[in-house]
Amino acid sequence: MNIRKAVITAAGQSQRTLPLQTLVDRDGQTKSALMILLEEALHAGVEEIGLVIGPGDRDAFRAAAGGHAKRLHFIEQSEPLGYGHAVLCAQAFTQEEPFLLLVGDHLYVAKGPKACARQLVEIAAAESCSVSAVQATHESKLPYYGAVGARRLQGQAGLYQVDQVIEKPTPTIAEQKLIVPGLRAGHYLCFFGMHVLTPSVMSLLEAMMRQADGGVHLSNALAQTAELERYLAAELAGRRYDIGVPYGLLTAQLALALNGQDRAEVLANLVELLAQS
Amino acid sequence: MPGELVTIITSPEPAVRNRSLDAFCRAASRDELLQEAAALEAFRRQSGNLYERVRALLFLYSIHRFHLPGKAGVTARSLIPFHGYTHLLQRRFEEAVTAFLKTQQAEGPSDAISSALAAAYYKLAIQTLADQVRRSVRSVRGNQWMFRMGHPADHPLRLRPELLKRNGDGTYPILRESTPVRMDLTHCGWSDIFFLGMDYPEGAKVLNVSIDLGVRGRDATTRPPVETCLRVIDEPVLRLTSVDLGATADITHLAEVFDFAKDYLGLLKAAVIASGIVPPGVEGSGQSLADLLARIVAPGHGLELVSNVNGIPKGSRLAVSTNLLASMISLCMRATRQAASLTGPLEEEERRLVLARAILGEWLGGSGGGWQDSGGVWPGMKLIEGMFATEGDAEFGVSRGRLMPQHRILDQKDASSATRQKLQDSLVLVHGGMAQNVGPILEMVTEKYLLRSEAEWQARSGMLNILEEILDALRRGDVAAIGRATTRNFFGPIQTIIPWATNLFTETLIHRVQEAFGADFLGFWMLGGMSGGGMGFIFNPARKAEAQQRLQEIMSAARRELQHALPFAMEPVVYDFTINERGTFAELLSGEAVLMPAGYYTLHAPSLLKQDRNTLSPLRRTELDKFGAACRARPELRGMVQTLFDAMLPRGKAETSGDKSLEALLQEYGFDRAQHEHIRAELQEGRIGLAQNRLPPSAVIEEVKPGDVTDATDWPGSGASFPPGMPPQTGTPTQRVAGTDASRRLAPLGMDALKRGEVAVVTLAAGAGSRWTQGAGVVKALHPFCKLGGRHRTFLETHLAKSRRVSRQAGAWLPHIFTTSYLSHEPTREFLSRQNNYAYEGEVLLSPGRFIGLRLVPTARDLRFAWEELPQQLLDEQAQKVRESLHAALINWARNAGEASDYTDNLPLQCLHPVGHWYEVPNLLRNGVLTRLLTHQPQLKYLMLHNIDTLGADVDPALLGHHIESGACLTFEVIQRRIEDRGGGLARVNGRVRLVEGLAMPREELEFALSYYNSNTCWIDVDKLLAAFGLSRNDMLAAEQGGGEKITAAVRALAAKMPTYITLKEVKKRWGHGQEDVFPVCQFEKLWVDMSSLPEVDTRFAVVPRLRGQQLKDQAQLDGWLRDGSAAYVESLCEWE
Repeated sequence: MNIRKAVITAAGQSQRTLPLQTLVDRDGQTKSALMILLEEALHAGVEEIGLVIGPGDRDAFRAAAGGHAKRLHFIEQSEPLGYGHAVLCAQAFTQEEPFLLLVGDHLYVAKGPKACARQLVEIAAAESCSVSAVQATHESKLPYYGAVGARRLQGQAGLYQVDQVIEKPTPTIAEQKLIVPGLRAGHYLCFFGMHVLTPSVMSLLEAMMRQADGGVHLSNALAQTAELERYLAAELAGRRYDIGVPYGLLTAQLALALNGQDRAEVLANLVELLAQS
Repeated sequence: MPGELVTIITSPEPAVRNRSLDAFCRAASRDELLQEAAALEAFRRQSGNLYERVRALLFLYSIHRFHLPGKAGVTARSLIPFHGYTHLLQRRFEEAVTAFLKTQQAEGPSDAISSALAAAYYKLAIQTLADQVRRSVRSVRGNQWMFRMGHPADHPLRLRPELLKRNGDGTYPILRESTPVRMDLTHCGWSDIFFLGMDYPEGAKVLNVSIDLGVRGRDATTRPPVETCLRVIDEPVLRLTSVDLGATADITHLAEVFDFAKDYLGLLKAAVIASGIVPPGVEGSGQSLADLLARIVAPGHGLELVSNVNGIPKGSRLAVSTNLLASMISLCMRATRQAASLTGPLEEEERRLVLARAILGEWLGGSGGGWQDSGGVWPGMKLIEGMFATEGDAEFGVSRGRLMPQHRILDQKDASSATRQKLQDSLVLVHGGMAQNVGPILEMVTEKYLLRSEAEWQARSGMLNILEEILDALRRGDVAAIGRATTRNFFGPIQTIIPWATNLFTETLIHRVQEAFGADFLGFWMLGGMSGGGMGFIFNPARKAEAQQRLQEIMSAARRELQHALPFAMEPVVYDFTINERGTFAELLSGEAVLMPAGYYTLHAPSLLKQDRNTLSPLRRTELDKFGAACRARPELRGMVQTLFDAMLPRGKAETSGDKSLEALLQEYGFDRAQHEHIRAELQEGRIGLAQNRLPPSAVIEEVKPGDVTDATDWPGSGASFPPGMPPQTGTPTQRVAGTDASRRLAPLGMDALKRGEVAVVTLAAGAGSRWTQGAGVVKALHPFCKLGGRHRTFLETHLAKSRRVSRQAGAWLPHIFTTSYLSHEPTREFLSRQNNYAYEGEVLLSPGRFIGLRLVPTARDLRFAWEELPQQLLDEQAQKVRESLHAALINWARNAGEASDYTDNLPLQCLHPVGHWYEVPNLLRNGVLTRLLTHQPQLKYLMLHNIDTLGADVDPALLGHHIESGACLTFEVIQRRIEDRGGGLARVNGRVRLVEGLAMPREELEFALSYYNSNTCWIDVDKLLAAFGLSRNDMLAAEQGGGEKITAAVRALAAKMPTYITLKEVKKRWGHGQEDVFPVCQFEKLWVDMSSLPEVDTRFAVVPRLRGQQLKDQAQLDGWLRDGSAAYVESLCEWE
């Protein structure tokens, strides 16, 4: 399976300005969050990127994309009908191809040399199916994420066969349906904000959108995907940073800096700050 | 090599596995039993299997309780090590067993040590079961996280947005859950007890029906009896309100949520915890409730929970409280997204989780029923069955079955709509008015199941066939067949397993209904744990309306007849009922007209109206305005203004009470106000009290010496011939074994005195029998406590039947005197008159009390002494927490009510107390009964005085002969002590042999150095006793002509020498719909045993066998009493006609 396209969603009410924020990347360059995210996708081998944005945001995003703007296809989500709908807006762009899906308010820092998106794309290409990046998450954070119930794949560390997907489950439901052997007590596999999806997911979203009264969740379409086709979850060597939460941007910046070339300098500054506080 | 009993436990073959223990033990010798016990002990310590461990423990209990003490070579006299007893109280059961076994090893097997081992093994078995149920509840998926979560910042639940969306007037919508209750159509042998289901899943089956109710004559229609409501409030508190119990509280601290017994809101608190809103993991975390609510609801906001039971009385056997708990849990789960739908019915998986959470909630509240009790959550009729544990279940490898059963909802093929309608048209559902504690019955059932006693095991198998029969009858629509099956079940298997499931009231009702309706009465059906409360009567549908009317009359009449004999909590009621086909169901009530249940406002509005309007939160102001507008507009709230007025300005009691006032009763029964005030002053100043009851610590209290007592344990006719566990085959006294030399010499002496008419019997029947019915205030003497000779017999009848037999043997009729009090005199007189003295041909006299006390509110000092300083049996972890919370609440109550103030907040008769049985003999002197006896029967020389509950005591000629020959004034009978015999004993006190009351023991452990326990049966030489009072026969005879002052002065003089004990007794206060509270009250008493301390009274002591001297104090003892041969022994002493 060849993954040439990526979709980044940035149309949510709280997301619209986040990708435009400026940070210093691991290479010491000052960039917008959007640009860091675009580079994450491009390093994964993606050639074209569909950016789902709110009405009227095109110019700002184009500016923030810098030199990568030429790879972008701007897709407007005209009304806020949920994350599933935002993804579905990119259907004309992805057409019948698999695609990498990223959320605009998350940044990723890989543990090794290979970027998170690249790790995911390689797995999806090898397994030829939809794969969602997941991270073991404590149950107190369940109100914020979609979570999966899954079984470990024999002999493939960090890879799971997904059986169930539930959006923001309570621990009561998670404990009954989403327990994954091998995880620490009270931890569940929650979405990482990064997926490789097959075109059938778009079809499912489309069908759900036709029936829905209001918006649709991507998780519901993924739950159906798990029933209909092989669908995997992968724990990646890396961490995600939600820049939309309080101090999220600061934390993401620190994470980037501490994993980059200026680590020693940033660390020294931090120690000095700590000593003075 | 494993023992034979171990093989029974471990065998995979049902034929071996289900073998009865009794059959094996009957044939085994002492040494064989000891060997088997040793093998079982080793086995249960190493077995990892729950079922094997518990069954081995109950086998060991049974061997020591019922079998070993009766075997040749087991000594009767031995001392129980106090440190072992202390372990038992502290729930260190393993250590207790070790201590008792060590004594047995050193001193050989004995009755006393076996009693201690039996108690320890039994408690360990029940504890092991409780621990397993608790582990299983915690390990149910969906419940585990609640035990991990310990900080509000980690709280993973969030309220549904719909509940946070305000109405136009700013108030929040109300989520309301309506839940039916359940009835058990089969009564399948209490097989829903958790452990039965977990060990014998194939036999755990119940047919359970969800029903709506209405009280006939009160409610126009039936509706789900349970209603719970939830809404958001603009204060960071948990506001809990129980409309039915009239209680409300604003909870501001997490610790209060776990304080279950502080108020009447324990069940609501348990629901808040079990639903995960305040998960059990945060208990003791010291965190803030406001922070937790901010996380779940919104900053500065809280939740309000309201429960309302539609006037269905407690004890209905319809599991009202469990379904209320389940309803509240379901409501809270919906509100916090733990159920898929906010409104409508629940999904099957969700219902199962509600069940698991309700089990958890019941455990938290220190109670627990069976797994069918939450049946109202499910719709319609369902078969609930135990399930085998399979791989993946927490119980797999631990028990055969799972904690959680499976529910199969019956469809139209199983029971058509027409059949359901027919059932509704035929069944008259009632509450007989009795309220009893079912707890001991559930333990009995578990025990009998594990012992596989032959008859009980067959009964259990028979019940499964009856279930199949009922299922078949439902398929065929044959309601008459259902009636036949439930009746057969009640009179057959149910009573074979638990004879106490029936009572005289129930059987009287069945008999009278049968008479009134003949063939149109299709059957009786017992609901729940025991009869007398909720029950069903099945009739020809054509006569249902008439049957409802008639049954009300029959129940009310039977209740009037038995009201002093059995504990009734309320007037009987007849219900209307319909099958509820939707189960628990929720609605979201939004809009400006939405209100809580009307009763909610009766509770809240008065205090809100009294407050300055500006101090109320905006929502409460709006709520009051809305309610005011509704009162004006809505017809159903028409009477509310009057109700509120009554709530704010309560009417005086005099306006409503038609009974005699307390003051009138005190005057009538000779209350001594001066003495009362003296006692109060002494109590308040701390000069008397529980601690001051004790003898001085310097008193030397020692075991008696061999010559201090006469050993009558092997005398025939004194209970020696029926060793425990081996009742006689025929029960005729003539077959008893020949006696010892002493008894052969003494029996004729006694028999001659009997023939000459020198003896009378005095039965002490004045007490309230507090332990018998936990202070319900019924007359114990009139309680039809057990079926003997084929019928329910009262204590009164049993004692007369013994006197009848002895009288016939002697050829002279014994006068039989029953002492009475303000509480028991009139009911006893009326009862005996109605029964025509049970056709007793001798004289039956009542000796009315002449002294009375007024109960006092206890001092906090005495309550603390009783609960904190005296050794107490610790309860299971959660139950102990609840008890401690209750104790704190009661100490608070005592302080608020006024320590040592008069206890008057109850029915007048419940505020009075008899002043101890020492006064019973002086009463005979003062009330003219002794004078009358001496006039009619001048040859009278001896009295046998005994407690109402010493059922084995009769006028035994040999013991009488012994008393005559000794020439003593008093001869007390004592028995060898077992572990349950607490409360003093026979001792040498500073060198003098006397009985010491438990209240007077300076230290607990001293009692454990005393071998003999007082049976309180006392032989009295009338002339010598009169002399001790400074009186003579002539004084008594002169009293008839007006010489009463001398007697009064003599009694007062001797009374002054008797110590006064301060005691705490439990008294029930009834309120609402069959609700009961138990309060500790303070009273004083003087006790007859202290006569033995007077140097001028020549007192002797005789050791009699246990069967003769043991007392029946508690209804929970009845089953063991029946099984260990005691009942058969008593029957052998009686001639009923």
